[in-house]
Amino acid sequence: MSSAWKAAGLTYLQYTQLCAAALRNVVKADVAAAFAKRQTTPIKVAKWENGKTVETHEY
Amino acid sequence: MASLIANRQAFAAVRAVATKAPLGYRTRNMATLREVQDRLKSVSNISKITLSMKMIASTKLTRAQRNMEKARAWGQTSQAFVDNAEVASEAEGKTLYMTVSSDSGLCGGIHSSVSKATKRVLAQHPEAQVVVIGDKARTQLQRQFANNVVLTFSQVGKAVPTYAQSCAIAEAIKTSGLEFDKLAITYNRFNSVISYEATVIPAYSEAALARAPQFDAYEVEDDVLANLQEFLLANAIHWAIVEGHASEMAAKRTAMENATKNATEMIDKLTMIYNRGRQAVITNELVEIITGASAL
Repeated sequence: MSSAWKAAGLTYLQYTQLCAAALRNVVKADVAAAFAKRQTTPIKVAKWENGKTVETHEY
Repeated sequence: MASLIANRQAFAAVRAVATKAPLGYRTRNMATLREVQDRLKSVSNISKITLSMKMIASTKLTRAQRNMEKARAWGQTSQAFVDNAEVASEAEGKTLYMTVSSDSGLCGGIHSSVSKATKRVLAQHPEAQVVVIGDKARTQLQRQFANNVVLTFSQVGKAVPTYAQSCAIAEAIKTSGLEFDKLAITYNRFNSVISYEATVIPAYSEAALARAPQFDAYEVEDDVLANLQEFLLANAIHWAIVEGHASEMAAKRTAMENATKNATEMIDKLTMIYNRGRQAVITNELVEIITGASAL
């Protein structure tokens, strides 16, 4: 059951997120309004070593 | 918290004014009367702010609660799977800890609840690694256990937490190269609108799932196992974040309600003091006029 998305190097979560985004793009306008309200702020990730931040990036 | 401190300061100042001198003496100079008036104004401004914050928290709370019901159903289903498969890695294997809080304050002891629970665990396992979500818990843990922190997330749950965010967190943990058999997620369980408590949701690694005694009953194929593990991990994290968010909103609502109540009480007291002072000034002036007239 090896899938194409796995062969492309995607993880399961990335794959589901892409599918969800694709679905959101094709729904009717009145349903899409509910998605538009949902704002996605990027989250900040910081890596720590020995009590100090060594690396930060956003998702 | 700032408004509470302001409340307390204002209250202390009023008490100082009230206890410094008897009423008649105090009102002789107009400055203190003006002082009381200023204080009255600032306290009523604070109460307006806290009241509107309470309203905002109330509306957010109903939405957060609705979301929580949904996330809980998913979380409990994955938990049921883990229980049925009898997954356990308490004895052997490495446990990674995760603390779920948020960035915003003014909501009572909600953040210290989870960070205290984490501190208790860290005191027992000084080598343990912690992943922290939310700036508040991070600053609290940083003081004592900065060396244990390996990964922090911020700006989570500013609006209603989305599943996409939880997926991103799960992704980040996977790609960070942190190894664990069990991820213990500490979050604030939503008991009711007025009560929350720090609770742990476990999530497991692929190896730990595969080792589980009853795991074969599910007939999971090998290449699907990785997907399942990712899904369970994201579900557990999402459940913790959403329920933590609901608890936070409830706590914020309670905190703001209390602050408003305190401010209202103080406004009453200050108004009383102000009116008494004003009357005393009038009486004084009358006495002066009458004595003046009778001396003629």
